[in-house]
Amino acid sequence: MNFSFNPADLGYLIPYLIMAVAGMLLVLAEAFYRGQDRSSLVGLTVAGSLAAAVASVVLYRQIGDARVPLLGVMLIAARTSYVLSALFSVVTALAALMSPAHQKEHDWQIGEYYGVMLLSASGMIMLAHAANLVTIFLGIETMSIGVYVMCAMRRRSRRGNEAAMKYFLIGAFATGFLMYGMALLYGAAGTSSLVEMQKALATTNNPGLVIAGAFLLVVAFGFKVAAVPFHMWAPDAYEGAPTPVTAFMAAAVKAAAVAAMIRMFGLALGGDVLPFGSLGWASPMVVIAAVTITIGNISAVRQDNIKRMLAYSSISHAGVLLVGVCALGLGAASANGAIVYYLIAYSMTTMGAFAIVAYVGSKGRERLLVDDWAGLGAQHPGAALAMTVLLLSFGGVPPTGGFFAKFYVFKSAMEVYDGQLIWLVLVGVVNSAISIYYYLRIVTAMYFREANQPFAPTRSGGLLFVIAICPIIVLEMGIMPGFWVKLVGG
Amino acid sequence: MMRLLILITSAFLAWGAVDAMAPQAAYADPIPAQQGGNPRARVNIVKKSPHLDRVESRDKGMALLFWLFAAMTVGGALFVVTRRNLIAAVMGMVGSFLGISAIYMMLYAHFLSVVQMLVYAGAIMVLFVFVVMILNRPEDEPVAPSGRAGQVIGGLAILYLVGRLVMLLWKVQPPDPIKALAAPVATPEGHEWGTVKAVGTDLFNGGLFPFEAISILLLVAVVGAIAIARPLHAGQDNEGDIPEGEGH
Amino acid sequence: MGNILFNVGYGHFLVLAAVLFLIGVGAVLVRRNALIILMGVELMLNAANMTLLTFSRMWGDLSGHTFALIVIAVAAAEASVGLAIVVAVFRGRRNVDVDKLTTLRH
Repeated sequence: MNFSFNPADLGYLIPYLIMAVAGMLLVLAEAFYRGQDRSSLVGLTVAGSLAAAVASVVLYRQIGDARVPLLGVMLIAARTSYVLSALFSVVTALAALMSPAHQKEHDWQIGEYYGVMLLSASGMIMLAHAANLVTIFLGIETMSIGVYVMCAMRRRSRRGNEAAMKYFLIGAFATGFLMYGMALLYGAAGTSSLVEMQKALATTNNPGLVIAGAFLLVVAFGFKVAAVPFHMWAPDAYEGAPTPVTAFMAAAVKAAAVAAMIRMFGLALGGDVLPFGSLGWASPMVVIAAVTITIGNISAVRQDNIKRMLAYSSISHAGVLLVGVCALGLGAASANGAIVYYLIAYSMTTMGAFAIVAYVGSKGRERLLVDDWAGLGAQHPGAALAMTVLLLSFGGVPPTGGFFAKFYVFKSAMEVYDGQLIWLVLVGVVNSAISIYYYLRIVTAMYFREANQPFAPTRSGGLLFVIAICPIIVLEMGIMPGFWVKLVGG
Repeated sequence: MMRLLILITSAFLAWGAVDAMAPQAAYADPIPAQQGGNPRARVNIVKKSPHLDRVESRDKGMALLFWLFAAMTVGGALFVVTRRNLIAAVMGMVGSFLGISAIYMMLYAHFLSVVQMLVYAGAIMVLFVFVVMILNRPEDEPVAPSGRAGQVIGGLAILYLVGRLVMLLWKVQPPDPIKALAAPVATPEGHEWGTVKAVGTDLFNGGLFPFEAISILLLVAVVGAIAIARPLHAGQDNEGDIPEGEGH
Repeated sequence: MGNILFNVGYGHFLVLAAVLFLIGVGAVLVRRNALIILMGVELMLNAANMTLLTFSRMWGDLSGHTFALIVIAVAAAEASVGLAIVVAVFRGRRNVDVDKLTTLRH
């Protein structure tokens, strides 16, 4: 393939470049630090991510409805990719704000953390723009390797190491499936560009390769977004990782994996042929989505550990996102916007919830059990109120962003021709009702039970800011969804 | 058992060598048109330009070499799965990688073949050996017996899928047999295909962005590996750990 | 039979890659030592690479080679991080058997 390098293309990649350069500067700055305290690196981290977010907003406004191929169609710039890259940048900034207090309180101050976080986020932004198998693979790997490292950074905790090991081994296994599936698709299409692939796959000589490749990709992405039956790593990894990293994993990594799925399944494997029929990729995905929503919820009901409960709840949310991806593949026009709206609402809710988990814990005592949260409402009403709002959003109760997110995804699933996904929507709605039960368990513990021990929360400005801003955004998305719907192009 | 294997292998090799040296009329491409290829087109191409790129071969000799390297690859990989000694497993892996790199040569991926040898067999496996030595526990625990019934069902399911996959891959149809065959070998210039020059040109054309972006990935890996694996400061050994059992 | 033995074509390379992939999957599923599991993953990536190169040759399209080169670099990065995690885990508990990673279990 021949192309002439056009420096103007780099202009469209400014968010990515800002993120990468800020990450490199942070890695460099770390080399000049003495002593233990690293909290001053947070400033540069937050500044870098916010600059990337602002650049995304500016480019979003400039680009209009155009889709601009960049650098030999390795990447594509479009409105959706800028919405997603702004989302990833904001989530990164929030995760960075949560970190210094948690690091100090639980004694794992490592300066490389912030650099690795931004470089990992640059991989996510690459995924938001990806238009080629190579860039999808590279984006997923840049993101994942960064997160494996962040997970292992609480080096003196055996639980942290164990979580990193499990996450790494499963992630690497999934990478093997991803790569083999991509190789088979490349063989069927003869090109690695996602745009050309859709046309090439429709007329391929080897339809068997397409089926095998698509199924392998379903498995690989199932691992990456923690869909049942590929979810067993998620509760362990989420519980063992330091809480800010858990938040980053649950919000940003999952959102980026879904962004890659939008590209992969919506663009390359979309169209009128490939998703349909009993051998189309939508048929296993529909089953996986239904099982994921159900098993995720049922397992969450049994959990006493809040981090594990949120992990299972995030598994069931991944199921809802897969419903959206199925609808996208089966030709629902509004699915793309619905998924992006869901990602925004879900990420903000997750960041806030884990921030409160980090806030409640204190040195030597993480207070992860539901019983440990008894009486929070009386002693720290602000945190308890914020948590209540976020849990209602997780459960999909009306005045919150979570409700509209689920509503839009299910609505797009209803649009599918012939009502093929109606049963899936029913499964989703029933499960939302079940999920409210275990979310309310935390709420009742917070408000209606006596504290057995006084709280000694981790106080820090950054953490409190995250706790304050996330419920506000979630409520705003619920009360005035119009702005956000227009933003995601619904 | 080992001796028998060596004996068979050397007999195989000898057969290949004799066969390769025997004068034969037709030169063969390592990948001739398998199905539906136009035999006449192939002969014409071959007569016009004998191989200039040192993977010169004749019919049976090349096939035997393929089987030899395939056996080496699969045997090395099986070694990894079956050996309980970590060093033996690593050595099996090295053998497997060398076989793979020879297979790449047959696929006209000369540059990739060399990279495979340098990066995998040369660098990654040395890293593995280092870690095995750091762990200082070359004897692995035996394979854990876990759930007989589950193993049988899982094994059968996997075998079924393997069968389907193999049938599928065996019947792969080239897009356009004549064109695909002609592309790499038609002219002396065609032999540039897969060399450093050709791959490098492609790398700095279409592959420019990933080639640059991969440096970020490598930076993450280097910084991360150092941050995780460097020794803890004295007096910090697992003291700040959360007590086991809390959080359950 | 002779045709299969002596007429080596794309199918041979692809099936070899598939066998390699499955041995890699087997290593990950059967073995308990983290290092061997990591080696199994490397085998899977190599199988994917071999498939890529075969198809690259089949289509006469060099971009498969670029892809394969990038996969090799990614595999190297992944191996280095993985080994670092193995060392970190070993430091805490003196073995790297994944069945003994049971601190996080409910």
